[in-house]
Order: sequence, then C-alpha cells, then structure tokens
Amino acid sequence: MTGLTGEMTHALVVCFSAIFTGNMVLSYFLGLCPFIGVSREIKTAFGLGTAVVFVLTFTSGINWAAYHYILVPLELDFFRFILFIIIIAAFVQFVEMIIERFSPLLYVNLGIFLPLITVNCAILGVSLFMVIRDYSLIVTVAYGFGSGLGWMLAIVSMAGIRQRLNESRIPYGLQGPGITLIIAGLMALAFIGFSGVLQGR
Amino acid sequence: MTSVEKIRKNRFIAPIFNSLESFFFGSDESVRRAPFIRDAIDLKRYMFFVIIATLPCTLAGIYLYGLRVLAVIGVSYIFGVGAEAVFAAVRRQDEIHEGAFVTCMLYALIMPPNVPLWVVAVGILFGTIFGKEVFGGTGKNIFNPAMTGRLFASLAFPDLMTKTWLLPVDGNLAGGFASWVSDAITTATPMTLFQRSGDIISNLQLFMGYFGGCIGETVKPLIIAGGLFLMITRVANWRIPLATIISLLFTATILHAIDQQAFAPPLFHLLGGGFLFAVMFMVSDPVTTPASRTGKWLCGILIGTLTVLIRTFTGYVEGIMFAVTIANMFTPLIDYIVLGIKYRVTPKGVI
Repeated sequence: MTGLTGEMTHALVVCFSAIFTGNMVLSYFLGLCPFIGVSREIKTAFGLGTAVVFVLTFTSGINWAAYHYILVPLELDFFRFILFIIIIAAFVQFVEMIIERFSPLLYVNLGIFLPLITVNCAILGVSLFMVIRDYSLIVTVAYGFGSGLGWMLAIVSMAGIRQRLNESRIPYGLQGPGITLIIAGLMALAFIGFSGVLQGR
Repeated sequence: MTSVEKIRKNRFIAPIFNSLESFFFGSDESVRRAPFIRDAIDLKRYMFFVIIATLPCTLAGIYLYGLRVLAVIGVSYIFGVGAEAVFAAVRRQDEIHEGAFVTCMLYALIMPPNVPLWVVAVGILFGTIFGKEVFGGTGKNIFNPAMTGRLFASLAFPDLMTKTWLLPVDGNLAGGFASWVSDAITTATPMTLFQRSGDIISNLQLFMGYFGGCIGETVKPLIIAGGLFLMITRVANWRIPLATIISLLFTATILHAIDQQAFAPPLFHLLGGGFLFAVMFMVSDPVTTPASRTGKWLCGILIGTLTVLIRTFTGYVEGIMFAVTIANMFTPLIDYIVLGIKYRVTPKGVI
C-alpha cells in the first residue's frame, strides 16, 4: 500500500477512530458546553450536530492549508492559535447566515449556541491535534469529519436520553446540568470499551 | 398507637417494613385510577420471577466456588437495598421497589468469586445510586444498574477484578457446599487464555462450565433454563436475546472465515465468558432496551456485533459489558427513530 491508497486507508482508519476510540466528547471531554446546553431535544441537537460536522470538516481543511502554506513558510507557527480561531469565527459567521436564510426555526432554536460554535473547544481541538499529529490534508479532513460525526452521535443520544427523562423524578439538585454530567460520565465509561480499536494516529 | 402503627409513621423504617410486609403477605391495595388491568402478574411477581430464574445459577456458583459466594450476595444485598432504602426514605416513598432485589442478585452473580467484599460494596453502591436512583428509581433508569456497577468496579479496580480467578472446588460430591472458598487459583478465564495464547478449551467444557469465571456465568444449561423460564412466563421478551445471539454468531463467523488463527470460532464466542448470562438476564430487561419491536431487533444486532468487535480488537475480553451499556445509551434514540418512522404525519393523517 503506497501513495494514494495508503493515504486513503489511513484517512478511513483515522475517521473511524475519531468517532469511537477518540470521541471528542466522551474521551477528550472537548466541546462540553454546547453538549450540555443544547441536548434537551433531539431535533435541535441533531441540527447543531450537523452544523458542527459541517464546520469541523471545512475548517480543518482550511486551517491545514493556512498552516502549511502561510505559517510554516513564514516561520510563524506560534501564531496558529490566533489564525485558527479567526478562520473558525469567520466560517461560523458564514454558516450562521446560511442557517438564518434557509431554516429560521433551527436558527431560533439554536440561539446563542450557534455563534458559540466558534468557541466550541472540539473545533479548535481538531485543528491543533492535526498539527501535533502531523496529518496530511486528506487525513485531516477525514479526521475533522469523523470528530464531527462522533460529537453528533454523542449529543443526539444524550438528547434522546434527556427527552426520556422528562417524566422522571430526578432529585431536585441534580436537574438540568447535574444529571447531564452524570449521564455523560456513564457514557464515557461505556466508550472506554472502544479504546484500543483502530488506534489510528 | 400500636407498635405497628408507630413503625408505619417512622419515615426511615416504614419503606423497609412495608416492602417486607408486601413481599411476604401480598398487597391489599386496590387501584383507584385508570388504567385498570386485570392480570395475575404485577411488579412484585415480575421481579420475583427473575430471582427464581437466577436461583439455579446461584446454587451452581456456590457448588463450584464455595460458600463465600453467599457472602458476596449478602454484601451486595445489604449495600444495594440499603442505598435504595435511604433514597426511599428521603423521597417519602411508601416502600422499596422490588427492582432492587433483582439488581443486587444479578450484580452479585457477575462478580468474580474471590473479589474483595469492599469492591462488591463500592460497585453496587455506584450501580444503585448513579445507575438507577438519580434517574428516579425502578423503571426510570437508562442504564442497567447491575451492569453499570460491574463496569465501574472493573474499570476502577482492574487488578482486583481480573487478575486472579478461582478454579472450581475439587473432589467430593458436596463440592463448594462443604467449603468456604475454593483454594485453587488460576490467572486466566477461557477468554483471557485465548487472547494470550490462542488456546481454546472444548465446547463441551465451556457448556458445562467447569472452569474459572464469574459466579453465575459459567454453567450454561442452567442459564439457558433460567432464560427460557423468563421467556415462557413473558417476563422477558424473546426478540432481543434472539437478535443478539444471531448477530454475534454472524459477525464471529465472518471474522473466523477471514483468519482462523487470530479470530475465535463462533461457538466459542457464544459459550465463552458472560455472554449468555448477560443475554438472558440483562439484555432482555424491558426497561433499558427499546420498547418497539423493530427497535428490539436493532438493539440486539448492535449488542451482538459490538460484543464480538470489542472482544476481538481491544484488550477487554468481556465485550458484552461495554456492548450492553452502549446499547442502553442508544435505546431512547432507537425508540425515537423507530416510532418516528412508524407513526409519521402524512397529508392523509397519522399512519
């Protein structure tokens, strides 16, 4: 396996391991704020998840190009935090305009959490991991896509659980974020089972 | 005021007293509001049937590994029911739900027989409190409490839970009933043995269960009998266990066909480890698995496939533990999607 085929296999492995083994929420605990804030309903959770998948896939690719063609030649790679955040912010603004134009209902439901995708740590995390792990462009995009899918899987299943809990008698002090964090912990316990599968680095 | 009335007034003793009373004497309450369902079975009998179904496995566990098994079960009951009683008292609930008795029993049966008793206590406390009570008690839990407790214990204390296993008590006819604990120790269950060296013990030996393992998981005929009893009495549904077993055999057959040396044969996966026990007593749990029929098939397929994949490709030989918890996690979502497709709104109305 050389050249393109090897690269594609690597990309596939990295993509799957980003969904299960190295899930952004359940094993790195990144992107927890919207994970807790927007997981009350399956529909909004799914909408936000789709937005995150979209933003992650594209920003990871753009950031890769910016890093390798602007920062590295100029030897300015310590600027990567600022540049990555600016690119992410601009891209999120763009997505926000699209969603407002095509799905006003989703726009209202997502509310403040849509612009907050900018500061979703999962998104900056993917860009930084791609630098640390020295991924190529194809692998980076696959990694961004897989991370987004993993994040979406986690938030949608969390929303399903929370919808079912609507009728339960949860202790007063634990309602809302408390029970959500407990569920997230139990989900992370279950996802430990995947550790070691497809150790795609 | 008679002493019985005094007890009924006491907030902390009342739940325990009431549940013991209704457990032994039955209930004289009548329902005031709809739905009125005339049926011989209620929540108490429901849960009691599960305990009956696990009794053969319990006796087999004692016979194989010694009377210490009773201590494990006892500790599990004291701490599990204790936690439940505290919650019932704080909530001002009338009695302890029978679900606790089942949880403690199943939890004890999936512990290694030589596990320190304090680990048993920590695990069942975690399982009861964080697996069940914070979600609102029996019938409201998302995750299977017994499995959650086991998962927590085995990840928190891996050395104590997986390093050493007891071999069955040797010699006389009385077996474990005559000794406190078996003194023969091994470092590997058949599952770990296969992962380390590729050795496979015969299917007959796996089936009869004369080897080291968790208390209730080894003797397969008794497990199958218990599971069939639950299915015939309609306490458990047959769809999920069937779907799980079929998908496990299917995935294992494909893997075994690819590489005969590296991947275990399907029957080994079926009979090895805690798979059958979990399938019969935990996967069939009506609370933590989907309610819809299609959902049940999907959930079973998910569990079976994940079990083989986790057992084969990770360091964890007991894949079923993770597979069940992951399936529990996706259960509400599966139900939501299946019901959403089945009862969708169309221009002609709801179908």
